This record gives sequence, C-alpha cells and structure tokens, in this order.
Amino acid sequence: MLSAHRRFVTPQTNETIEALAARALPGEPLDAAIDRIKSYNMHIFVMRRPAGLLLGSDVVFVEPPLQ
Amino acid sequence: MYDIVIRNGLVVDGEGAAGIRADVAIQNGRIAAIGNLPGEARQTIDASGRVVAPGFIDPHTHFDAQLLWDGQARPALEHGVTSVIPGNCSLSLAPLRAADRQKVVGMFQQIEEMPAVAFTEKYAKWTWEGFAGYCETIAPDLAINVAPLVGHSLIRLWVMGEDSQQRAATADEITAMQVLLRQCLNEGAIGLSTSFVDVDDKARPVPSRFAEFAELDALCAVLGEDGGRMLQVVPEFYDVDITIARVDQLAELSVRHGIPTTFSPVFDSTATPTAATRILARVAEQFARGARVWPQMQTRPIDISFSLLNPSLFLARLPRWVRTLRLPLDERMAALDDAETRAVLIRDAGPDGGEATFGRLVVRGGDRAPAAYVGRRVVDIARERGQGCAEAIIDISRENGLDVAFLAANGGHHLTDRIGPMLANPLVHIGASDGGAHLSSFSTYGDTGYLFSEFVRKSGDFTLEAAVKKITADTADIWGLKDRGRLKPGYAADIVVFDADTIDRLEERPVHDVPGDGMRYIRSSTGVDVVLVNGEVAWAHGAYTDARSGAICG
Amino acid sequence: MSDYAGALTSQEAVIVGAELAAGHDGEAELVLRIRYPNGVVGVVLLDAEAGFALMQSCAADSLEGLTGHSWRKILEGV
Repeated sequence: MLSAHRRFVTPQTNETIEALAARALPGEPLDAAIDRIKSYNMHIFVMRRPAGLLLGSDVVFVEPPLQ
Repeated sequence: MYDIVIRNGLVVDGEGAAGIRADVAIQNGRIAAIGNLPGEARQTIDASGRVVAPGFIDPHTHFDAQLLWDGQARPALEHGVTSVIPGNCSLSLAPLRAADRQKVVGMFQQIEEMPAVAFTEKYAKWTWEGFAGYCETIAPDLAINVAPLVGHSLIRLWVMGEDSQQRAATADEITAMQVLLRQCLNEGAIGLSTSFVDVDDKARPVPSRFAEFAELDALCAVLGEDGGRMLQVVPEFYDVDITIARVDQLAELSVRHGIPTTFSPVFDSTATPTAATRILARVAEQFARGARVWPQMQTRPIDISFSLLNPSLFLARLPRWVRTLRLPLDERMAALDDAETRAVLIRDAGPDGGEATFGRLVVRGGDRAPAAYVGRRVVDIARERGQGCAEAIIDISRENGLDVAFLAANGGHHLTDRIGPMLANPLVHIGASDGGAHLSSFSTYGDTGYLFSEFVRKSGDFTLEAAVKKITADTADIWGLKDRGRLKPGYAADIVVFDADTIDRLEERPVHDVPGDGMRYIRSSTGVDVVLVNGEVAWAHGAYTDARSGAICG
Repeated sequence: MSDYAGALTSQEAVIVGAELAAGHDGEAELVLRIRYPNGVVGVVLLDAEAGFALMQSCAADSLEGLTGHSWRKILEGV
C-alpha cells in the first residue's frame, strides 16, 4: 500500500479550467473552485506561457500540499 | 596473438568486486581474456599504477546534433566515456520530415542552446528522414558508442504535424504512433523519451506535452513488446509533489508493460531540503511493488551565472540594482555611467563595498570578458584595480558592453555530505549530465571525473570499485545494453585506463568549436590515460586518435 | 467538505518566505514558501521574469517584503 500522496487529476480532452474545477471539486461554487485549483497549480497558472494553458499531460492538483 | 594486451593494471571489472592485478587481452574488438597473460601482442599498453575499468556510460546526453560533425562527442571520450545515450527529453533528430526540420532546429536551439548555423547543410549531413537514416548518417564517423533514444515529440510531429502542438491525438493517430515507434525500435532506437517541461523557441510546449496519458500508455505497450525497452522522462523536477506524481505514473507504466523507466534530474537544494529525500522514498516504495523507476542524479554542483545584460534574481537582494537592470539597455548603460547612480549602487551593495555579495564571483570567459580577468575572483580583480567589488563589477561590465558573465559556484546540489549518500543509494542512477546541451551556459562534461575526485577520494562515499560499478555495469543493466559495462571475456572492449589518484575534471573554459564559430563551455579531463572503444585506442595520453570504432549499440 | 470550504472563504494561501536557489540551467530562481489554509507550507519556484514581476506587484524592495502577501499577487504579474 503506497503512502498517501497529494491527489491530482489530468485534463480530459479539450477540457477548460472551468470544467476541470467543477469536475474535481464538485459542490464548490465554481469561482471558488477555480481559485483553489489555481492556487494549487501555479506551475500551470504562473510559469507556463501562455499562463493557464491546460495540456493533456498535466498533473493538476485538487488539494493543497500534504507535507 | 592478441591484438592488444593491457598489462600490469589494477583490473576493476565493473561488478563491484575488489580490483585485481591482471592483464586484459583484446581480440577483434572484444575482451578475450583476463589474468596473467604472458606472450606477445600486436600492441601492449602498460597500465602500471593505473586502474583498468570498463568504459563509462553516460545515460543522459543530447549529442544528437554534435555527432553529425564530431563522432568523438568531445570531450566525452577523454573523460573515459565510451558509450552515450542521446535523444533524451522527447527530442531526437529522427524520425523527421524535411519540411519539419526547421521546427526541430528551433527546439534544439531553445533547449540545448545549439546555434541554428550548426544545422545548416554546410555542417550537417542532413539527408535522412527515418530513424535508420539518422543512424546510417552518424555511424561511419563514430569514435564513441551511441545507444539512441527516439523522442516522443518527434513521433508526434511525424504523425500529427502542426496539430502535435495543439491537441490530444485521436485513436488512429495513436495507432500510427505505435507503428512508427515500433519501426524506430527496429531501426536502432533503444527506447522512447518524453518531456513534461520543455518548450520550443516560441515558448510553446513541445509536442510530447500535449499527449494524454492514454497515448503514453499505448506507446509503452510497444516498448514492452520486446523484452522491455526504456522510457525516459524529464518531469517537473522543480516541484517535489509533481515529481512524485510522475514517479507514480512511471511505476504504473513499468508494471503494466514490464518496462524499465527513468526520470531526470533529481536535484538537492538547501531551499527545499526534503525534496530529494521524499522523491527517493517514493521511488523505493514503487520498487518494492515491482516497478522499475530509476531516478537520475548528476554528480556535479549547479552554479549560478549572470551578467548585467539581463536582470538576474541573484541581485534580488539589491533593489536599486534590480531597478537599474530592468531599464532598457541604452538607459541602463547611461545609468551605469552616471556618477550619482553608480554611487547609489555601490552604497546599496553594502558597507564592505559589495565584497560579501560579489567577492567570490569568478569572471567567466566566452563573452567580452578581458582575458586577463577570466577565471579570477572579483575580489582579487577589484583589489588590483583599486576598487571595491561592486564598483569593479559595474566597471568591468561597462567597459565591455555589459557582456561579461560572473559565476557563483556551488549554488545548488553542492553539499557533498548530502549528495554522496544519495548517489550511493542503490536505487539512484548516476546520470543527468545533459552532455551536449546548455552549450553557452555551462559545461556538462566531467561528471565521471568529479565522481572519483569528490565522492571517492574526498568524501569516501564510494570505494573505487563501487564508483566504477555505478557508471558501468549498473548503467548497462538499467538500460539493457548488451555486452557492455563490464570487463569480462566476450564483452565489447570498451576500456578506460586511469590514475585513481588524479582522475578529475579540469576548470570550465570556453571554446569555439561549434560550427559557425559558436562558443560552448567544456571541461577537459585529467588522469585518464587511455580510452579504448571496441578494442581500438580512441584517446591516449592527452590526444584523440583517428580511430572510428564506435558503434550504434543497444 | 463544507467546513473546509467555509474555512477557505476566510483564509487565503499566503506567502510566508522567499529565498534564492540555483536553477538547473544556471540561472538564479526564486523559491517561494506558501502557507495554505490547511496549514501546510508548500513551495513554488519562479524564474526571473515571474520573480521580478511579483516583487513589483508587492511593491517589495527585498525578498523579505514578499512575506504576508496573498498568493494572488503571484498571478498579477502574469
């Protein structure tokens, strides 16, 4: 049994950040869900050019760091 | 009569056992015998006082382009490296349609800092499109063995064209990629490489990054068809959580398809002191479950380099310097000429005139740096000029159009007491050299010499035999390289004769040997006496020979 | 989940530290420590462009001046 690791999803084909956030954090208000996704994934939303471009190979965390 | 006998050396066979005094006989490019071998030979090499070991294997290189004009992959050979693995990080030079060459040239420019002129028809014998064609082009001139990977970005580009950097692949496209990968493996590729971080010369993610996991899974099914070929990846190495996620993905692929996988690099940093140990712990967990996920770690420290041509975070603690350096170039030059601005900058650097910040920096060559200053510390140059360090930095830069680079050595991955035990971890694969890349930024050569000087002689983290094993038999076993990496009868006669007390890398220096008079940083070797590749002497006592005995291998 | 969501609406991820590190390409990088609402401190690496943009967003003259700012400042310069 592997030790716990930070949960992530990978983008589905042509998935937008809105759709991913709704899928990953169901029950959250959408704006808040998008905010959280961005805060957990600054490698996508800060360092990438263009910022926020979702790639099929991406690791998109759905929770904050665990340690 | 043997072709060559190497006599009187300490034979360290690559398997980790204690070295023995013995002779090594070579016949028809292979090791024929090891032991007490009296009798004549066509050539005798006296290895008295020296170690006789298998040639070193460098698993992470980008020599793809350099091999077109330099079959010796200089200076790799002179460091005792007899086999290199190019084509890493999703980038190879085949399969590649002629119409797409410029696109890939752009990627190599961006990622490997290879000047475009090096790819012009004058220097590059660019006639191939398929993988076989690339291998046939480089093979005749090889003095070093090459076990090439095929790049996922190239596979994608061939099948999808421009769409390879736009979207996920369709099912039919994935099937076509599988067929193409299979063909490349049959034509000499040792495995597949992919990247999750690289960008092209337009800052667009390279094609492999648009692939969904299902595509990589399908390609790994092909890798698993013939006993299991390697998948190499460069993950988001700057983030420990993402890297661990990639370790888990690699483990899934390894177990499902019965393939070895490797990822590179793993760095140690005082800013993130638990990162490397967390990654290695995850690797150990995955190995325990039957996966093969080999983390690569380089031996050499990381240095920081900057010039006043671009604002560097090295100066982030000096806000007035940052403001000045963020000015447009002509305004910046004017500011640095202005007496009042200079005074402010010098004051900003501290009451010691900037000695604590700048004193230990070394002037690098390769740009407009005056030759008299290259390789010297700023504090010494400043004293000579009768200036403080900050003032000297400003003036040396001003006097040379700001095109003078300063090096802060050992900025990361440099603490021997942390790095040594990690490198010695049996699950850590020594590699990640990036040989042939980062040409104008720093030298990527000599990691093997540094392993011996720093981690055998200085820290004792390795015995001589264990260090040799790490970069010979272990590498060969991880990659499935047949008949290499050991001194054993029947194996290829890839051999290095070196002085265990002196083998090392020398100081970094600029050379202008890239086609088009391009500059790159290299490190020459010391302590390596003779290097044989497939039984022919390729390097002897300070000079390359004309031997072209290297082979495409796997 | 709803308790956690409620906590998030009153808490933001915050920059709690910054230091320099050597990047693999020989360039200096900015290592930001971010404390998330769950109390865990994670790390974000910024290159020179993003790092200087952040300092400008925060009107920070020093790395210490970044401490206490919301993670949103990191996005501002992008």
